Amino acid sequence: MISSRTTRVVRRLRRTGAQAVPTVIAVVVLNFVLLQLVPGDAADVLAGESGSATAETMAMMRHHFGLDLTLWQQLVAYLNHLAHFSLGFSPRFNTPVMQLIMSRLPNTLILMVSALIFAVVAGVVIGVAMATWAGRWPDRVLSFIALVLYSMPGFWLALMAIVLFSVKLGWLPSGGEMTLGADLSGWDWLADRVSHAVLPALALASFFVAIYARLTRVAMLEVQRQDFVRTAQAKGLHPMIVTLRHVLRNALIPITTVAGMHLGNLLGGAAVIETVFSWPGLGRLALEAVQGRDYNVLLGVLLLSSLLVIASNVLVDVLHAWLDPRIALH
Amino acid sequence: MKAALPLRWLILPCATLVFASHAGAATSANTDTPVRGGTLNLVVDPEPPTLVDLTNTAVPTLKVSTKVTEGLLTYDFALHPEPQLATSWSISSDGLQYTFHLRHGVKWHDGQDFTSADVAYSIELLKRVHPRGKGTFANVAEVRTPDAFTAILVLSKPSPFLIKAFSASESPIVPKHIYEGTDPFSNQNNNAPIGTGPFKFVKWVRGSYIEYDRNPDYWDKPKPYVDKIIVRLIPDAAARAIAFETGAADLGGDTPVPLADLARLKQNARLAVETRGYEYEAGVARVEFNLGNRYLKVPAVREAIARAIDRKVIEKAIYYGYATEVSGPIIASSPYYDAAPTPYPFDIDKANALLDAAGLPRGSDGVRFAITVDPLPISDIPQRTAAYLRSALAKIGIAVTIRNQDLPSYLRRIYSDRDFDVAINGMSNLFDPTVGVQRLYWSQSIRKGVPFTNASGYSNPRVDQLLEQAAVEPNEAARVQQFREFQQIVERDLPDIDLVEPQQVTVYNKRVHDHTTSPDGLDSNFADVYLSQ
Amino acid sequence: MSTNHSPLEQPSRRAVKSLEDQPLKHVAVPLEHSSWGRQFAAGWLGRFRRRASDALDAPNTPDTADAVQDVPYARDWTVFKALLRNPAALSGATLLLALIVIALLAGTLYPGDPLDIVAQPMLPPGQDPQYWLGTDSLGRNVLAELVHGSRASLAIGATAALIGVVIGTLIGALAGYFGGWVDDVLMRVTELFQTTPSFLFVIVIVSIGHPSMSIISLAIGVTSWPTITRLVRAEFRALGQSDFVMAARSLGFGHARIIWREMLPNALPPIIVTTSVMLATAILMESALSFLGMGDPNVVSWGSMIGDGRDMLRTAWYLTALPGGALVLTVLALNLLGDGLNDALNPRLNERP
Repeated sequence: MISSRTTRVVRRLRRTGAQAVPTVIAVVVLNFVLLQLVPGDAADVLAGESGSATAETMAMMRHHFGLDLTLWQQLVAYLNHLAHFSLGFSPRFNTPVMQLIMSRLPNTLILMVSALIFAVVAGVVIGVAMATWAGRWPDRVLSFIALVLYSMPGFWLALMAIVLFSVKLGWLPSGGEMTLGADLSGWDWLADRVSHAVLPALALASFFVAIYARLTRVAMLEVQRQDFVRTAQAKGLHPMIVTLRHVLRNALIPITTVAGMHLGNLLGGAAVIETVFSWPGLGRLALEAVQGRDYNVLLGVLLLSSLLVIASNVLVDVLHAWLDPRIALH
Repeated sequence: MKAALPLRWLILPCATLVFASHAGAATSANTDTPVRGGTLNLVVDPEPPTLVDLTNTAVPTLKVSTKVTEGLLTYDFALHPEPQLATSWSISSDGLQYTFHLRHGVKWHDGQDFTSADVAYSIELLKRVHPRGKGTFANVAEVRTPDAFTAILVLSKPSPFLIKAFSASESPIVPKHIYEGTDPFSNQNNNAPIGTGPFKFVKWVRGSYIEYDRNPDYWDKPKPYVDKIIVRLIPDAAARAIAFETGAADLGGDTPVPLADLARLKQNARLAVETRGYEYEAGVARVEFNLGNRYLKVPAVREAIARAIDRKVIEKAIYYGYATEVSGPIIASSPYYDAAPTPYPFDIDKANALLDAAGLPRGSDGVRFAITVDPLPISDIPQRTAAYLRSALAKIGIAVTIRNQDLPSYLRRIYSDRDFDVAINGMSNLFDPTVGVQRLYWSQSIRKGVPFTNASGYSNPRVDQLLEQAAVEPNEAARVQQFREFQQIVERDLPDIDLVEPQQVTVYNKRVHDHTTSPDGLDSNFADVYLSQ
Repeated sequence: MSTNHSPLEQPSRRAVKSLEDQPLKHVAVPLEHSSWGRQFAAGWLGRFRRRASDALDAPNTPDTADAVQDVPYARDWTVFKALLRNPAALSGATLLLALIVIALLAGTLYPGDPLDIVAQPMLPPGQDPQYWLGTDSLGRNVLAELVHGSRASLAIGATAALIGVVIGTLIGALAGYFGGWVDDVLMRVTELFQTTPSFLFVIVIVSIGHPSMSIISLAIGVTSWPTITRLVRAEFRALGQSDFVMAARSLGFGHARIIWREMLPNALPPIIVTTSVMLATAILMESALSFLGMGDPNVVSWGSMIGDGRDMLRTAWYLTALPGGALVLTVLALNLLGDGLNDALNPRLNERP
């Protein structure tokens, strides 16, 4: 059983890998063409920030960054870079794109993963509570709260949280990823980083809590009705054990599917939260790249995002197979 | 035209010869004795694209470049030159030869000697790749180096403003042995600079900070006093305000915090605000017209718009009082400033009457005609000015549609496509009106594709004549007259409306001393800065 | 079920063949009224669709056909009654209605341009009876801005959602109906759009033009259609198996007619539910854009109010709180309504233990 599952996983991964390449190329071409439609280029940005320019210096800059080539030549050059696993060079940041992205990737991952974990955990807990008291007032109250959270713009919740926890109470910092200038180490350093990550992660997670809560509630109620649960209860198993082992395990399937979808898409929503909290992540990098006409950086981020989506899909599939062997990996 | 040079021209070099041996004595004008040691946290935004202001003159680049790379001269608050890498200088009576005597014993950070060859190479390089170099050094035909410590600039025509162009923030002296034979745009020195300055580059953690250490071999001993400078890159204005309050940032320029927060920060016992140090950067916020627009080409319409704007509201509500009303393009602190008030003061009724007389009556909805306004997307102040303009022009029956876009789109639209009616633009006078102001009003400056040139399409032969004369006029008094007449014509013609001169501020922690000792402000090399406890 | 190979392929080819042989399609079924209008009415008042097979058996029966046994959707007046009984849907609908009324009356309540500078800046609320909520940093009436802001949010949200629903439904319908390579290609395209973070996509599109209400609506609509595509595709694949579609095919109806008249009306309920969700998402996205300063500067929007108030968070946090609260109320109303619709239109999934 195990070996056939492994072979299925391997086959699935290989197939995904084969499908990923055309997807990646399509993403690059689509976004490349789209970006060319945006007026202005990086030389305009640099000249604008310098406050002066001459026609000669601008021509020199354009030549230096390869912006004076035709669209086709630039696309070919970029694809060539990709084939050699390089993401090109950023004119605005004056550094290789790969280096830039790698320096910001951990920050975004920390934010996204902690937000997702928090949303799932809180969602599941609330969902279990809602299902346990289904139909009665705790269910309705929790349902309403979840819906209100779902209706809030993340950036507004972030600002209100800053007003409350940072300005009025002074418990948590209002921005950045760590305290500047304080050379901390060990536990102090960890505590500092965590205190900076709390508000952004919560703001990002708030939107998703409702979704997971509902999924949990629905899945639990559905599964509860099924035969094997009744059998287990009839056998005299403690209802809590029944809930945890059978019900929760099956509820996790839709949750992981949705979580996988969200992981891929969190990058866009993270952009606004990162701006509010000055969090040095990929979302904000992408925003700056659009405004700085830094195509290489933007394409790099978009590529990464699509790879992330593909990877999370595969991860979800594998997770499903592990959770419920009845689901075949084909 | 070779007029007799005023006495000032002779006294200055003599006076500076006397001061030459007391390098730095003229600049440290404080009474306390400097304390050694400490780390200075300078906050800068946005992150500079490069660390040497050779090919890029963005505001943050100037801040960091000057700590490592120096210039031939520095200047006092009266805009008189003082020694830095040049200990003395003289200008020939015909204004065509500038002789600089260079400092002995100065070494680059890699140990090589600084010589006149570096100066000659740098000036040639600046002329080629610096955003303004071509204009600034336009009349420099060659740079002669008779010996290792003398550099002579030979000019084809007089450049009365040239002597003001030698600060590190405008014309950095870079090492020839590093740049020779390389592409100045991709030379790695731009990311890890070597210079003659009081601070040595240590490392640049992108997106986070830049670190500089004290140069123990600096030519101006015992300076610098500070051990280390950390340049913190904090992109969010509110976060910068917090950094000042918590002490994470000691010093920041170009109004580093939101204007709305300044009042609160001033109340903080540890912090203070400085308004000097922007004399070279200062400029004027303006409303620029596209003279090709069928309505705006009519002078009466432009006058009406000028009369509908209340500069007091702009100064108070948009700049929170950190601005001065002006009527022309030259800043108030410049010796060429014409203090005469605007010929078109705020008068709504007169404005309405002008438009009626121009044959542009109000329609049934109260609107005479519609125009678009494009605010410069640097900081949110131009956008707020655009919002005010919309409200103000509604009162005289002009419907305004504001168009927002980011910087490159804006530059393309205004300077390449000329696809605009009104632009809320800025401008820096730079160190001399010929360099900063002429490019906006000279008819030969109408160049598509080049930002910060004459976008309105203004062409007035008398103005052209005055500007061209002033560019080579060695007689200071005559020059003042020329610029004065220029301002009066421009204020009448109204190719643009000059609104206010924004006042930039420096926010600093009171433990930081002597950070602003020249009109360069925080763009100086910080050799004099010290930290008290 | 095997991937992507639709059993619909065979029957449709047969239908096409018969079409070419006998031009029967406009003769067979005497449906006097448009199936669409009746579906809509039936959907809301509880009476449901007539299948093409009914037409076969009794072409002239009056339009009181009952819904069929195997229909998973509610029948008769149940839908409307369910909506009225559902407190969520009721409150949501009432709130939404109130907001729409305010948006429509904004011009009469606060005539003139809300972006006009009317008084001194930063007037606190409650001080001046003329300006109940005070003024903002430029001296504009906060209450007028709040009231007019509803227009921007609702208008852009509705337009964007409409564009998204139309595109998404079209693509999903075509993919689900035809299957095979059409499905493959369309799903690949959908995947492509889904892998790009939608918010960044919107920003790129807005940067191509310049921020105005129409471009923003277009950008949001164009990036939000993948949500509904999969849903519609699944619906169409399921519906493709049902009797009445088979019957329609055997009658020789063309693809367009089957999709438009037979299948789409029955796929409506989940589409309607998703539309309310898409509306909510569109409003949130527009507010995020305006917050970042990329909104239309000539129109006051709650998002731009929040963005403007951000600099004064410490001293005048109500400038950020109030427009945000308005946003939450609007989106909440839409979500409540969506919930209610979902409960009413999918009673099978309505869990009552």
